[in-house]
Amino acid sequence: MIHVRELTKAYTDLERGKFVALDRVSFYALPGQIFGLLGPNGAGKTTALRILSTMLRPTGGTVSINGYDVVTQAAEVRHQIGFLSANTGIYDRMTAWEMVAYFGRLYGLPEDKLDARMDAIFSRLKMNDFRNVLGAKLSTGMRQKVSIARAIVHDPPVLIFDEPTTGLDVLVSRALLRTVAELRDQGKCIVFSTHIMREAEKLCDRVAIVHRGCIRACGTLEELRDQHAQHDLEELFFQLISADSNTPDPRSAVLLEEYRG
Amino acid sequence: MNWKNIRLIFVREVRDQMRDRRTLFMIFVLPILLYPLLGMTFLQIAQFVHEHPTSVFVVGPLPDEAEPALVSGSRFAEDLFEEPDEARLLIAHRGTAAQLLVEAQRQTKPKPAAHDKHRAPQADAAPAAEKESASDPASEPSTLPDTLPETGPETEPATAPATEPSLTAVAAAAEKLVRSGAYQVVVYFPPDFAPRLQDYREALLAHKPAEARPALAIPSPQLYFNAAQEKSQLARARVAEVLAKWRSQIGERNLVAGNLPPGAASCFRVVSHDVAEAGRREAAMWSKVFPFLLLIWALTGAFYPAIDLCAGEKERGTLETLLSSPAARTEIVWGKLLTVMLFSMATVMLNLISLGITGLFVAGQLPQFGPPPWSSLLWLLVALIPVSALFSGLCLALAAFARSTKEGQYYLMPLVLVTMPLVIVPMAPGVELTLGNSLIPVTGIVLLLRSFVEGDYAHALPFVPPVVAVTIGCCLLAIRWAVDQFNSETVLFRESERLDLRVWLWRLLRDREPTPSVAEAVLCGVLILVIKFFLGFALAMPTDFAGLAKTAVVTQLVVVLTPALLMTIMLTSSPRKTLLLARAPRWALPAAALLALFVHPLANLLQQAVLKLYPINDEVAARLESMFEGPFNVWAILLVIAVLPAICEELAFRGFILSGFRHLGHKWRAIIFSSVFFGLTHAIFQQSVITTLIGILIGYLAVQTGSLWPGIVYHITHNSLAVLSGRVTAAEYERFAPLRWIANLAGERGLSYHWTVAALAAWAVLSLLYWFHRQPYRKSPEESLQEAIDHHAAQSLAG
Repeated sequence: MIHVRELTKAYTDLERGKFVALDRVSFYALPGQIFGLLGPNGAGKTTALRILSTMLRPTGGTVSINGYDVVTQAAEVRHQIGFLSANTGIYDRMTAWEMVAYFGRLYGLPEDKLDARMDAIFSRLKMNDFRNVLGAKLSTGMRQKVSIARAIVHDPPVLIFDEPTTGLDVLVSRALLRTVAELRDQGKCIVFSTHIMREAEKLCDRVAIVHRGCIRACGTLEELRDQHAQHDLEELFFQLISADSNTPDPRSAVLLEEYRG
Repeated sequence: MNWKNIRLIFVREVRDQMRDRRTLFMIFVLPILLYPLLGMTFLQIAQFVHEHPTSVFVVGPLPDEAEPALVSGSRFAEDLFEEPDEARLLIAHRGTAAQLLVEAQRQTKPKPAAHDKHRAPQADAAPAAEKESASDPASEPSTLPDTLPETGPETEPATAPATEPSLTAVAAAAEKLVRSGAYQVVVYFPPDFAPRLQDYREALLAHKPAEARPALAIPSPQLYFNAAQEKSQLARARVAEVLAKWRSQIGERNLVAGNLPPGAASCFRVVSHDVAEAGRREAAMWSKVFPFLLLIWALTGAFYPAIDLCAGEKERGTLETLLSSPAARTEIVWGKLLTVMLFSMATVMLNLISLGITGLFVAGQLPQFGPPPWSSLLWLLVALIPVSALFSGLCLALAAFARSTKEGQYYLMPLVLVTMPLVIVPMAPGVELTLGNSLIPVTGIVLLLRSFVEGDYAHALPFVPPVVAVTIGCCLLAIRWAVDQFNSETVLFRESERLDLRVWLWRLLRDREPTPSVAEAVLCGVLILVIKFFLGFALAMPTDFAGLAKTAVVTQLVVVLTPALLMTIMLTSSPRKTLLLARAPRWALPAAALLALFVHPLANLLQQAVLKLYPINDEVAARLESMFEGPFNVWAILLVIAVLPAICEELAFRGFILSGFRHLGHKWRAIIFSSVFFGLTHAIFQQSVITTLIGILIGYLAVQTGSLWPGIVYHITHNSLAVLSGRVTAAEYERFAPLRWIANLAGERGLSYHWTVAALAAWAVLSLLYWFHRQPYRKSPEESLQEAIDHHAAQSLAG
């Protein structure tokens, strides 16, 4: 279970000065569901997910994953999650098997269980053909499979995917989305960010539309359609953000307030 | 910390590096090939290395056969050299002063046309004004006018010709000739040199009494050379030796002429015996080479793997993967650190072994170089671990800061520039292993190693603990810095920014926080040091109190206060908060004054210990003493030495700079860093050590009370006591009986407190510090956050 309350993150940027990437964002995600973070580039999705994965610290608000706070109990949180993004690479000089085994050991899996687990994952993801191939020689699709295997080797209850289909072709993307859906069916709590509306429509049980660091709408797809009288998610998205487009981005002029929360 | 994770990361990183061909080549193949190739090249070149002859123009009349010969043909007399063969290294060209002028004019004329260049030199002509080249054909003299005598000593008339050029003209001509490079040295014998010598000798031979002999006022031969040219310096040294020998021979002859034994002037010879043990001479040579190589290879061997492990991982996108794993940042740093250390040590060992083996073979070919002693390798291996740890920590911290491998490589040069002086200075003659030197990082290791390689164990062993302690301390600091870099979001996820100075300045003014940032605090500290450095040249060194007062006022107001105040106004939105001008808690001011009073005896003892470790130079001590000589106004001294520095320095260091460092999130780091700047600002090193420690105390007061005022009161009290106790004379000591209960007189002036007083004072200090510790102080937001994290981390570990 993921609880995010009033999450705020501010940076200092040379040109923009104090820049608030996330402004009091709140949402939750439940086991057996895929929660989608939908938004254009620069909306704050990656920042939010990096905070969930404990790579960044929030400036304000609280985030808890399965009862553990991401700031004060970061080590426990990392045991609970598997994280994958377009930026997470694989090691060029390790084979696929070595890499997944390395992370399995870091997650504390005993050797006997690790081998069995990896055999199961490699079979399910059809990776046995290239298990002993070095990372530098793998194709994009294979590399993505290795990243997924690495993220799920320790069977975490929570999975965080940050635009995982970026740079992948249609076939590989489809396979990846299918895998994510299967993981949801296994009861995982999944947060999935994307800027591709069709992915969100096909995959997500609940969606939050993020723009300029704020959540503009949140709920199941049916709820959003009913609320805004718009069937097409893409049109709904443009409808929500078009009102913002005519006003200056408030984040660039915000001075940092006292530590919230 | 989970050592299992550290081991996993270490094993993975090592395996990854071992699969990189470039790393394998640099670490293993290059050392094995490099030194044998260098050795081979060295042996090949050695056969071409030999000493080249130098040319000397000897001007003026020389004595006749009555005196020992100076010049014989185109060489100096062989008996004037240690070995007759050395005579070939000096080629003598004789001529008159007029010929010197002619030659000088000729050499400084424009060069002849191309066809003249290939004119074959005549057998005994002087060399042309040729350019310097490696294979210097200096043995071929150039052509002089036909009127010049070509060989043999010159037989000039006793009196100088009427047209003899003046000394000024001769000097000018000699200057031109030497600068042109045609001759390396010109030796000018004044016209009356030979006649005077001859007259004196004749008087001795005629056994004339002393009062009847002419005055022994032989005019000095003038020797012209060019110190800017190595060849000229070498020629000068050779000619000086020859002339000294010739002078001895003349002196011996004078003694014989005066019926005295020839050895009367040098009635004894000194015989030297080299008692160096077999191999120690070679050890002395290698003791300078090996430590230098150890540090250089440890640094470069650490740097490139560190860049690949940190900046390279950022570029490849695998760092984010690792950061999202259960491994803590500290564990990641330790795993990478051990990897970098391993490669640093491997680089050193392989290079040293290869160098040692090559050195053995080269030494066999060149008898003047002995082989390196095997024990030296053992000592180097022992020193390897702390040295590698230190450089690995530094390199890792710098590498973590870099966004890419390209950027990371730029950081190597500053690191080398900082390290090099610490490595090279110990090589200078006169720099010995002392307690003071052993406390300097890197330098202490080099000096200790030198002593061990030379076999001087008895001298070196007592310095092992301080060197080890300082090195380990620096290692831990470097590792701490690396961990901080890995914990910094701005470092890990920093993106490229286009630097626009206007935008940057506008942002500085637009986005002012109530208190300065860490970077602004560092900038202020550095500015103060830089301005002080340059102002030190503009201000005259004070020699009395008036001068001292003037220097102190200018330094405090211009160097210390002005930058801090300007930066406060321009860069912060709350000067009151920045400068800690809030009212202090009740009793804090008298408590601070009491604390200064009780710390004073301890500071006094500490100062004596520091002066024993690092004695002040006599000249500096005398100058310091002169500033307070004579009658003085106590209030003036207190104003200049106590009040003014207290206000200015507290506003700068505990105000602006400490406020900035509080954003680090650790109270003690802020206090220590601001104190280091405070200490460095003081002129004398011995003073800097004490003031840094006192600065920590004052910083603590400022943080605990949230106010600058207790620190100002402490500072005034401390400085006043230091000045007043340092001026106590013997008469005053006798006059005030209570002084004898608490202290002895230290030399002619000043007090040295009894140990009992120091012990009681220590107890009082601890009590007062405990009282300050109990004061509820206001944490910065960063300190609050860090405390929450540490609290939860401790709970997790316990649970």
